[in-house]
Amino acid sequence: MGAFDPLITYEKGTYIETDTGNKVSRKATITGATNIILGGKSIIQTGSILRGDLRRSTAGQHVVISMGRYCLIGEGSIIRPPGKLYKGAFTFYPVRISDFVHIQPNCIIEAGQIGSGVEIGENCIIGKFVITKDLAVILPNTVLPEGTVVPSMSVWGGNPGKLVDTLPETYQETMEAKCKSYYQRFRAS
Amino acid sequence: MSITYSCSHLDTPHAPLPPSYPSSSSSYHSLDKLYFCEECDSVRCDLCVATEIASYFCPNCLFDVPSANVRADRNRCARSCFSCPICETGLSITASDTSQKGTGSTSAQAGPPYTLVCSGCKWSSKEVGWQFEKPTGIALQLQKMNTQADLVQSEFDALKDHLDSYISLSTPTTSAPSSTRSTRNPSRHISHITHMAQKALHREVGGMVAYSVRNKRSATKDGQDVKVGWDELGEYEPKESWRKAGLERGSQEVDALREINASGSEGLARLEKRWAKSYDGSKMTRDSLPQRIPLQTKLTKRCPHPNCRHLLIQPDTKTVRMKIKMVAANYLPLVEIGRRRRRLPNSEIIESPDQMSSEDIERRRRERRRTRGGIPVREEDEPLNAPLKAGEVYSYQIALTNPLYDPIQIRLTQPHQTHKAPSPKFHLVIPTPHFTINALKDAWAYDEEDEEDDLVGVGSEAGFSEEGTAITSTTGTGTETATGSGQGTLSRKSRLSILSSGKNDRRAKDREGGVEKRGNVSKVNLELEILPEAKGQVEFDLEIRYTYRAEDLGTPTEKEGKTSSSEAKTKEEYKNFTFWVRVKVGHIS
Repeated sequence: MGAFDPLITYEKGTYIETDTGNKVSRKATITGATNIILGGKSIIQTGSILRGDLRRSTAGQHVVISMGRYCLIGEGSIIRPPGKLYKGAFTFYPVRISDFVHIQPNCIIEAGQIGSGVEIGENCIIGKFVITKDLAVILPNTVLPEGTVVPSMSVWGGNPGKLVDTLPETYQETMEAKCKSYYQRFRAS
Repeated sequence: MSITYSCSHLDTPHAPLPPSYPSSSSSYHSLDKLYFCEECDSVRCDLCVATEIASYFCPNCLFDVPSANVRADRNRCARSCFSCPICETGLSITASDTSQKGTGSTSAQAGPPYTLVCSGCKWSSKEVGWQFEKPTGIALQLQKMNTQADLVQSEFDALKDHLDSYISLSTPTTSAPSSTRSTRNPSRHISHITHMAQKALHREVGGMVAYSVRNKRSATKDGQDVKVGWDELGEYEPKESWRKAGLERGSQEVDALREINASGSEGLARLEKRWAKSYDGSKMTRDSLPQRIPLQTKLTKRCPHPNCRHLLIQPDTKTVRMKIKMVAANYLPLVEIGRRRRRLPNSEIIESPDQMSSEDIERRRRERRRTRGGIPVREEDEPLNAPLKAGEVYSYQIALTNPLYDPIQIRLTQPHQTHKAPSPKFHLVIPTPHFTINALKDAWAYDEEDEEDDLVGVGSEAGFSEEGTAITSTTGTGTETATGSGQGTLSRKSRLSILSSGKNDRRAKDREGGVEKRGNVSKVNLELEILPEAKGQVEFDLEIRYTYRAEDLGTPTEKEGKTSSSEAKTKEEYKNFTFWVRVKVGHIS
């Protein structure tokens, strides 16, 4: 896999590397960092926005954004927890992102759950409370309306997004290898 | 730029037709979509595998529908999943009177009636007058509503009742044994079908056969003339006459045309909207109703060979994991192509592609062969997707990744074509037809290697040439060349096998004609000389044969041997497997 993929370099010092191997751009807007959990070896690229401050209004500690390992938040993508009126009060709900999730540049993500091995193409808009099960592909420029459910092994595209294809059985390996390779190739110049 | 693998379907593996035959494209697929049958020792593709439906599920509520219910539910979700008639998004159930009075928390309590609302285009089922008392089991509620209201439905039900009475009339008798059936029975072909249906259902199907046979017998017994035919039915009185509905005068059509006139072209439902609908077809957009969401399936795939039928894919109904997964990616080396370089014109050679004769080409090829050995040829990197130019020489690197836990040996050739093919647009030279690929190792071993890499930088040792040698390595020559940590050296050295002993850690980077190795990936060069005046797509086939170690004689097709057993001195046997890939390089501009 990816024997000829080029290195993806960034200027040294523009990314902070954490103990668990996360690479977070200094130019990413991260609010409410205490409410965000990164699993390790994840990359948060320049210009992305993570809204950890949009937390549940009740007191106490709440995890707003949790992210697994080998994830990628592309440049200019926004992760925003979904919110709705519940029993008369407006509340935000957490975003759960599993392992091996690639979110390409310029996406707006308000999903409730993104399963492992999901790739979201460029310029996608993922509506509130969208549930993406494990192993799915959202093609670039897709708009998923609020509450859409994306089942496993499916490909979605269009505006509004529709199920357009299914994935081959090998997709899990393909995606994991791709995510690992991307992380390995993403290094300081 | 793509690489696809050939599947010879049920034939014995053979070199497929050359790329100039468009029909050959059907046997090429990307590696991740191919399967591998160990029993037949051959590649299988989606076109040839036998599929069975393992389970049905609704893509919206993810409910696993028991296969017994699927037919009755007409392959659609029978719970509350509907798709929007406008944009086909799943509809969500919304309580209607949420914000009727004030903003107090008590008044915001959601209550009936419930409507279906599309979150994509804000279409609401109020538009078609659908409102529900409960937020669950919408399909069932709708069915009740519809059966009461719909005229067509009631007519259908009446007709069904009518036919049911006819069927039940004939059922009480025990099923007539088929042997007594006379061959002159006029309903023979029908009774045949009924008989099969009976078998399939494991119970008696009332109707034609029983009725006719019984009838015939009783008729002969009584000595009467056969009055009641096998297909005789009582007359059905329709509830409503079509005359009453005004069909006679075509008033419906006139109305429809009037509506279209009034609404303009937008009022007309698009064809794809009307396809999914039942027989009652109104052409207007406003008449299109939400449809229950069609079910999706998980498939079990089997080897298509009639003597094999082994399972290749067996999905787990609960998770995304597969119980059985025999995919070609675990057996065949992955082939990738990259690092395209264009040879810069040498100042000595007069570049005149217009007047290039075959002699010139020959001369140039000799030239190229000569230069490859000693003097470095000036080359320039090019983007992989840029159009090719006629008359230029390109070199590519082709990378093969070993999926097996044993080293394999590769033979890379161009397939011998028995069929007549038009003269190619290019010459392909494979400088290194024989080379080996190291074994796949555990992930941590690679991590280690990467760390070493970071320390050493690019370990560019003077490479060794493996050109033209079948089994090159002699055991024990592998010296740890990496200057960094020598961790894991012992374990690696101890794994001596004939194919690739000791060289495991050599990252030989011999650019010209050699093999570039790293982990379980080997890269070799390909040279492609585009002939002048060539046009169109450049694609070629490669025949790749790999030799792997079969574990022992007992299981000759077992390929994924464990590395530990090589130390256990099992009887080693080597096997070959040949496959074909098609490389699409690009267009000649």
